[in-house]
Amino acid sequence: MRLSRPRPALGAASATAALALTLTACGGSATLPAASGSSGSAAADASKTYDEILAVAPVAPAGQIPAGSLMAKIKKRGTLIVGGTDTSALFSLKDPVTGELTGFDAGLAAMLAKYITGRTSTKLVQVSVATREQLLRNGTVDTVFATYSITPERAKKVDFAGPYYSSGDAILVKKANTAIKAVDDLNGKTVCTQSGSTAANDIKDFAPKSKVILFDGNSQCVQAVKQGRADAYVIDQAILVGTQYRDPSVKVVGQPFTTDPYGIGTPKADPEMKTFVDAWLKKIEASGAWAKLWKATLGTAVTGAAPKPPVVGSVEGS
Amino acid sequence: MFTHVDAVAGQLGRGLLLTLAMTALTFTGAVAGGLVVAVLRICPVAPLRAFGAGYVTVFRNIPLLVLLVLFVFGLPDLGLLYPLFATVTTAMALYWAAFVCEVVRSGVRAVPRGQAEVARALGLGFGQCLRHVILPQAVRPMVQPLGSIFIGCALSTSLAAAVGVAELTGQAEFLTLRYDQPLTSFALTTVVYVALTLTSGLVAGRVERKLAVAR
Repeated sequence: MRLSRPRPALGAASATAALALTLTACGGSATLPAASGSSGSAAADASKTYDEILAVAPVAPAGQIPAGSLMAKIKKRGTLIVGGTDTSALFSLKDPVTGELTGFDAGLAAMLAKYITGRTSTKLVQVSVATREQLLRNGTVDTVFATYSITPERAKKVDFAGPYYSSGDAILVKKANTAIKAVDDLNGKTVCTQSGSTAANDIKDFAPKSKVILFDGNSQCVQAVKQGRADAYVIDQAILVGTQYRDPSVKVVGQPFTTDPYGIGTPKADPEMKTFVDAWLKKIEASGAWAKLWKATLGTAVTGAAPKPPVVGSVEGS
Repeated sequence: MFTHVDAVAGQLGRGLLLTLAMTALTFTGAVAGGLVVAVLRICPVAPLRAFGAGYVTVFRNIPLLVLLVLFVFGLPDLGLLYPLFATVTTAMALYWAAFVCEVVRSGVRAVPRGQAEVARALGLGFGQCLRHVILPQAVRPMVQPLGSIFIGCALSTSLAAAVGVAELTGQAEFLTLRYDQPLTSFALTTVVYVALTLTSGLVAGRVERKLAVAR
């Protein structure tokens, strides 16, 4: 072992930490000492770039916000009212120290707020699967960012801008596992999933030679992977990244191998909002801000490069 | 209705085989274990009696599902990782052994006390007395309760589905996920379970009649 090696790494890490602290006083710096340089500074980098991405996010030219539209109303109010959650790690999670929401959904919501009002000011209204459509229809929220899957059924009640992200079944393995990198590698392996999830069928379709075990809940599946009873755990990526965020002994590998498109809910009563959000989405996807935001949020849990964003309007219902 | 009859039948068949194997192994293990614990509970050595009583108290009062989860997810944390099937079958055998023990013990208690006294007067030891005098007479009243325990074993194997064993109920869950016909798949498994338990009930009746003249 070379003595000189850890030093530059540590120096870089603490420099990043100092930068991150001055910029944001972020909670991410707490992870710095544990990891010897690399992963710690990556976490700090992520939260640093997260704020940088928001700082350089575009603002709509005044001509794009017609008087009397929902956007004009939001601009006058100065705050975007977002339906979402504060408990979804890497999508929309409240930082207990700063009280700020961070994550992919939260970042997009802040960018949209900035695009309309010029500031990243959002107000969160907690929504659940049962209340999302209702809150959009009665005008309680301007928009919904909540890992909201686009379905034709829901599209009858609300408009969907996007899809802005393509989730789907992904793979979780033990940190030390290097044998499983994609769904093909599951053949001949023991794979577990939750007994109520249709992921069991997807595993059989994509890796017919795998052995599927059904367990009752998320924690049992994670436990089975950690204990070696199962080689991998397959379920929706949004659940897996949340698990990985809380439990560093496991990791999510590769991109989802099925398609579950997430959309941005907008009220049906204000169709101009959907068009507006679609245009904004195309803009940030073209500028690379979308990919940067993915890297700073979901990219900290998922291995590999940022995926290509799904084509806006490509899904039935969007 | 299901359109893939062959696939469905094959899947349920595999599940049924596993259920049968699990039931047979569980029941055999439970009878063997139950006999041992029952002997401990009626033997003249006080600490062994206390151990037997403790065993029954512990295993009879923990819900089987809790026991299964503890065995499947708890033991690996202690470094004991066995195949799922073996782990689940062992846990079920240990659980049902407590019930078998009580059946055996009440069967033994059903033999008049005088029989044991006569055996002792004739100079038979504890083991000889059990083997030649008590147990042959105690078996008959034990047949029906043991039949009930067999049915209990068979039906309780369905709990193994909750901890990942793909026996009959587990396969029914797979079918439900695949074809989205929960009522049909569970109706099919119900028929199989009822066939299994009715058969065992009939067998128990036969055995009881066979042993009728033993006393």
